[in-house]
Order: sequence, then structure tokens, then C-alpha cells
Amino acid sequence: MSLEAPEPELDVGETPDGDLDYDELADLLGEHVLDREEHVNAEGFVIRPDSVETVLATLKEEAGFDHLSCLTAQQYGDRYESIYHLKKYDDPTQELSVVVPTASEEPVSGSAAGVFDTAIWHEREAYDLVGIEYEDNPDLRRILLPETWQGHPLSNDYNQDQPQIVPLREHANPMEKRTQVPDRSDTMFINIGPHHPATHGVLHLETVLDGEQVVDVDPDIGYLHRCEEQMCEQGTYRHQIMPYPDRWDYISAGMLNEWSYARAAEDLADIDVPEYAQVIRTMAAEMSRIAAHMLAIGTFALDIYGDFTAIFMYSITDREKLQNLLEDLSGQRLMFNYFRLGGVAWDLPEPREQYFQKVRDFCEYMPGRLEEYHNLLTSNELFQMRVLDTGILPPEEARSYGCTGPVARGSGIDYDLRRDDPYGYYDELEWDVITDDGCDNFARALVRLKEMEQSARIIEQCVDVLEDWPEDEREIQSNVPRTLKPDHDKEIYRAVEAAKGELGIYIRSDGTDRPGRFKIRSPAFCNLQSLEVMAEGEYIPDMVAALGSLDIVLGEVDR
Amino acid sequence: MTLAETISSALGLEGAVGQFVGGFIGAAIVGTFILANAAVAGPWAKRKITAAFTDRIAVDKLGPLGIGIIIPDAVRLISKELIVPEGVDRPAWDIAPLLIASSAILGFAVIPMGQVGPVEFQLADPEVGLAFVFAVASIASVGLVMAGYASNNKYSFLGGLRAVAQNLAYEIPLILTGISVVIFAGTLQLSGIVDAQQQTLVDLGPVGIPAWFAIVNPFAFILFLAANMAEVGRNPFDIPEAPTEIVAGFQTEYSSVYFVLIYLGEFVHIFLGGAIIATIFLGGPSGPGPASIGLLWFLVKIWGVFLLTQWARSALPRVRIDQLIEIGWKGMLVLSFANLVLTAIIVGVIA
Repeated sequence: MSLEAPEPELDVGETPDGDLDYDELADLLGEHVLDREEHVNAEGFVIRPDSVETVLATLKEEAGFDHLSCLTAQQYGDRYESIYHLKKYDDPTQELSVVVPTASEEPVSGSAAGVFDTAIWHEREAYDLVGIEYEDNPDLRRILLPETWQGHPLSNDYNQDQPQIVPLREHANPMEKRTQVPDRSDTMFINIGPHHPATHGVLHLETVLDGEQVVDVDPDIGYLHRCEEQMCEQGTYRHQIMPYPDRWDYISAGMLNEWSYARAAEDLADIDVPEYAQVIRTMAAEMSRIAAHMLAIGTFALDIYGDFTAIFMYSITDREKLQNLLEDLSGQRLMFNYFRLGGVAWDLPEPREQYFQKVRDFCEYMPGRLEEYHNLLTSNELFQMRVLDTGILPPEEARSYGCTGPVARGSGIDYDLRRDDPYGYYDELEWDVITDDGCDNFARALVRLKEMEQSARIIEQCVDVLEDWPEDEREIQSNVPRTLKPDHDKEIYRAVEAAKGELGIYIRSDGTDRPGRFKIRSPAFCNLQSLEVMAEGEYIPDMVAALGSLDIVLGEVDR
Repeated sequence: MTLAETISSALGLEGAVGQFVGGFIGAAIVGTFILANAAVAGPWAKRKITAAFTDRIAVDKLGPLGIGIIIPDAVRLISKELIVPEGVDRPAWDIAPLLIASSAILGFAVIPMGQVGPVEFQLADPEVGLAFVFAVASIASVGLVMAGYASNNKYSFLGGLRAVAQNLAYEIPLILTGISVVIFAGTLQLSGIVDAQQQTLVDLGPVGIPAWFAIVNPFAFILFLAANMAEVGRNPFDIPEAPTEIVAGFQTEYSSVYFVLIYLGEFVHIFLGGAIIATIFLGGPSGPGPASIGLLWFLVKIWGVFLLTQWARSALPRVRIDQLIEIGWKGMLVLSFANLVLTAIIVGVIA
């Protein structure tokens, strides 16, 4: 009998020190792998369109790739291409891209919907914007654009001069592909939104009710689609893209979003970031996170308590304090535009001591304040009655739907990119990843409340570090060329832990100073898809609560 | 001397004509008085109270503490366009707001509101006073259903259905608890119930604790308070409205004057609930000082109940409809029956 601790079981293709052996993975897939590509973040296996499901199923079951992080679709001169960005919930640094080229004339590909539920929406988006058809996708219809939109705007032969939307009567039967709700005479169809107090923006839930209970819910999104990806493709890497991320998740989570672009572009163009700037970034990002969570908690309470209650106003008051801190730092209250490739825009505000004192005061004020939230919310019996055991999202479902952030952590999935795929200054600091096994609305709210405490811890440590930083070593930006032109066909997918979860950016450079393809993996988009799991069979108020607990921002869902 | 008699004698009228004119003008005075209370409560007090709970300032520009906002708000609300949606079921849609507002005011006809000087503010004092109050207060439910059903809107429809379910679940415990008071007092007449609470329960030297039914039977009092919350549809039982779920439910489609009427009706209803509580549990208009300031004490009590509803609105989550039904039928109904039986036994043993 061995006295050594048993070795943790390794997935196929995993080396004992936690890296990936791509050769072994290629052997696992055998003849399915036609070619291998080198992306900056991972290797890409090129496969045939008809073997998508087999390959992904094998990778999921045998190699442990249980997280379909994103799907990027794009058109080249000679082909269409779908890239499935795979990761592992256990270790997101182990990444693999599955590249599926399809013919220009007939872009038909297999679907991953049978392996990952999250693929349904991702493929719908790819179909909608790029025009690739995914056979076997159970619900392949437009997702962001109106049903009667003509053509696929990101395909090369898209005619921009034609009428973009036509009336329904000129359009092929729009109801043809629609999933049918069981035809029961005692159900009622009701449109919740796009103008409804509980949808937190312009979300439209096509809901079928049986009395007060939800039989079927189908989120209709795209009302706030602003072509953010396209706009980023029009801007130059160096300065013109950075303002856009602030506008995705515009609930004061701007710093976190900016980091996602900064991280992807810096890795793509091999830019170093000075340590000092990383500390400032970490501090700013955590301030953003608290501000975003404050609003999430406040609006969640709004959904459950109704109208304007004390909790909503309290959380807005506290968010205001953070916005003041962020304003002192960046000059802006919402659209910060504070990060730069290779650092941040400018140093901490002078006088530094005064700023540090303000931040410290806030960190000291936070725990008492959180106590108050716990008194008003989590220890309130009526609140518990409303949210415990409602909106259940089991961990298997959460993984399959690609849920991340507090939604996944509220389902007991221990996944946080700040710790698992470290960036910035996080790995030098002491803090905990909060998880809760409740899987219900309560757990998700609780995780957010506790995360704020951890964020305050991080901020406090950052202040300590910044205070002691020698004055002549305060380098806020590394030396970055004025024009950035990454090599032709260099591809990268990088994610950071934003307020709502994993915010990923895929960039393909085409040799110019602008991205050839810019794709945003929005955490709220993926989380929202899981609403149907939480809501079906529940009462209307519980669906509203579940939606509130998902904490979506339509700016980020629709992009 | 009652209000009607005072008026008729001041006008020098006698007999049936005097009764009619006195009663008519008296009713107008009482109605206006109650509406004035609602006017203070709606555009001003509600805002101020909620603001105090949520660390805000609220209206403060017109008049002392911003109380002048009532006039511009009234003009604003009444001068808005009355939007009549397509396909609403008229005249049910038009009658509903009238019914909601008037039924609540009607209840005040029998409430003993105390004295101002020598004048007794109570329009009528029938033998079945308490039954009358409960009966007219329940008419509002009919108004809610009419509004919900006639609006041709699915949210309103859901709101109407919820209103029925809720009122059925709560009216019975409410009335059963009221009956326990009737057993104590031995009469349905409201003035009789008030009189029954006038003795001193415990004499603590200079201060005497009065025999208010809230003190004699606190259990029934709390039960009644809770049921009343549901009856007037305030948090945690504002389920028929539930703005974040069904977008104000039965009142979604109402604007302008109809909206004002519905809101007014709700506020008057809160005050009527407060008036019932004050009358049957808190000794009506009795309080320290001479009987001639009774109306003041009555006002303090009904505004106290109003404050309670606003407090609940700021701090308590709304329960779900199924939970409400459960609380109503499985909890409150059982408790109120237990209360009723216990009261009957105690009263039977003592008497």
C-alpha cells in the first residue's frame, strides 16, 4: 500500500503539472483532426463540419473540456469558419480551439447544441450575423436582428444598400422555424417586456403561462444591439477601441470590461504592463466590481420588495461612494476610458495621501454596511421565503449553459478567472473565491454580497502596496509603439473575470492596425440563456426574481 | 349632539327636511374631511415617509416641508390625458374606479370619529355598524375585479384574478377576528364597541391603562393588523398590483382622473382600515384629555396605521401569491377561528 496521496486523476491530454499535451489530444481525436493551427492562447484543431458533435463530445467526456466558452464565426475570402473556444471549469488555462471551416458556397456545419446547451444561442448569433447554418441546432433562428432582416451583415457579400428590414408580408414565413409551444387551450401567452419594470432594460420575454405558472419562456434579445464588435473592428488597437468596452456592461463595471480588451490586445501584441500599473488596475477593477454588485443587489431587492425600498436606495448610496472614488481616479463616473494598452492613463490623483485615506475610509465603512444588507435581506424571513429554493440552476446545467461569475459560483462551481487564470496583481493578494451550493436565487444574491467583502479586502491590500511604492518607480505605462500592427492571422481568445462572469475577447489580426475580427464573449448573454432552466414551472414572481438574480445588463447581452 | 343635528339646528330646519339636509351636508363635510386626509397622504405624506426610510429628502420646495406640492400635483394628475385603450369593456371600465373610491368613503358613514367641541362626528350609528363597514369595504374588491377584467390587458387580468384570490383568503379571517371583538362588546353597534372600551383595565396610580381590545386581546389585534394589510393591499401583500411582476396589475390601463380615483380609493381604504382598527381595538376617539378633542386622537390613530403601511412598504418583501393563499387559508383562518373560540369560552365563563 502506498503512503503517498493518490495522484489526482488526469484527463486525457493533461500533463501532471497542469499543462496540455496537444499531441495526445490530437491522438484522441484521431482522423477527425485535419490540421493544427497555432493560436496565441491555445492550439486550434481543424475538423470537418460534419464531425463537430463527435469531436466536442469526445473532448468533453474524455478530455474534460466541459466549458464551451465562446463561438466565433467569421468569413474569409475562401471559406467560413467557426471556432469553438473550449476550456475546463477546473482549470481554464487549459484551452483548446476547435476550428470548423465550411465552404463559401454552402456554409453548413454540424452543431454543438447536442453537447453544450450554450451552443444554441452562440450558433444562433453566428447564423444571424455571419450566415453559417448549423444543422441539428434545435432552434436556429435570428437572435439579435429582427426576424425579417435581409441577409447576414458580417458576411462578405452583404449588400448594405438593400432594405434591411422588410414587412412580414414580404418575408418568408417567419413562424416557420419557431419552436412550437404545446398546444394547450388553458395557457396564456404574455409578452413580458421590452418595456417592463422587471426586465432591467429592453429585454423581451415571450412567456407562456398556465395560470400563474410559467410553462415556457423564450428571451428575445437584440433591442440594444449596437454593433459593438463592428465598431471595435473600425478602430485602431492603440487608442480607438478602449472607450467601447465601457459601453458593454455600462453598470459602472467599465474598468473590468476595459481590462478584457487590454488583456487580449496586450497578449496579442506582446506588450508588457508595469507592475505598478497592474496594482492600480486591480484596485480600479475591484471598485468597479463592488459598484456593479451594489446595483445588482439593489435591483434584485427592487424586484422582490417592489418599488423603491430602503435597500435599493442604500445600495445606490453606496455605489455613489465608489463612483466618487472612480471619478477621482479616472475623471469619469461611468465611461472611464482609464486603461491603456501597456498600463493606465495616468497616475493616482494628487494628493495621494488624501486619496488613499478616502479609499481606506470606504473599505472600513463597507463591512458595517454589508451587515446592514444582511439584516435587511438575507436574514429577513420574508425574503428567504421568497428566494430560497426558487430559480434552481443545478451545477451540471450551469456548466452546460456556460454560466460563469456569481451565477456559476451560486451553483457551487468553483470558477473564478482571477484565481484560476491569474492576471493583474491578483495572485499576489490574499482573498477568497466565494461559492455557495444553494443553486437558487438566494445563493446568487449571497455570493454577490460576500464577493463585495472580498473586493474590499483586495482594494485595501492594493492601497497598502501602492502607498509603499517607491516614488521613482511609479511607471504607469510601458513603452508601446504608436501604431500596433500584430502579425497577419494571429488569433487570440482571452478572458477576464468581469462583474457578471467571464468576459472574453477574440481578436484576429489581419496585419493592419485594426482587428480583422473582434468578437466579444459576453457573460450576461450566456447566463441569460439559462433563464429557461430556472423559470420553467415556477411562478411569475419567481421568474422575475430569477431574472434579477442573473444580473444581466442588456448592453452586454446585445452588444 | 351629532353633526347632522348641529347643522340642521344651525339652519333652523326641523323634521324630515332637517334630517335630510343636515345629514346631506354632514356627509359632505365628513367625505371632504376624509378626502383631505387622503390628499395629504398621497402626494405628500407618502413621499415624505418613504424618503425618511430611504435617506432621501423628497418634496421640500413649496410651502413648509413641501406640503404645498399637493396643489400642483392635483392639477398635474387631473389635467393629464385620459387614455382609453382599444377594446376596453365600457362602462365596466369606467365604473370600476368610481366603485373603488366611493366604497371606501362609504365606510366612514358609521365610524365614530369623536368630538370637536360639543359636536359628535358620526353620521349614522346603526345597530349593525360593524357589519356595514365590512360590507362596504369589500365592495372595493368588486371594483378591482371589474378593472382587471374590463381593461383588455393580460397583466390587468392577472391582477384582477390575484385580487379576488387575495380578498377571499383574507376577508374571512378579518371578519372572524372582528367578531371576537363583538363577543367581548356584546354589540355590533360601533358606538357600543367604543363604549365597551372606556373602562380602566389596570389602574397604575396616575395612569390608568384603558380596556382597549388591543390590550385585552393583543393576539386578535395583531391578527387583525396583518389581515388588514392584505385587505388594503399593501406590502407585504400588494400582490394584485405588484409593479415589478405584473406592472401595477388591475390599474395598468388607467390614466389621469381614473388613475387618481383608484389611488385615492386605495388611500381612503388604508384610512378606513385604520378607522376600523381604531374603533374596535384602540378605543375609537378616546384618549387623554377632554372628550371634546376626540377627533384629534382618532386622527392620530388612523395616521398611525397609515405610517405602519408605509413602513412595511419600505422594508418588507412582497410574498408570492401561492404563499399568500397559504398564509390566508392555512394560517390566518385557523388562528382566527382559534381566537374566536377562545374568546367565546372566556367571555362565556366570565359572564
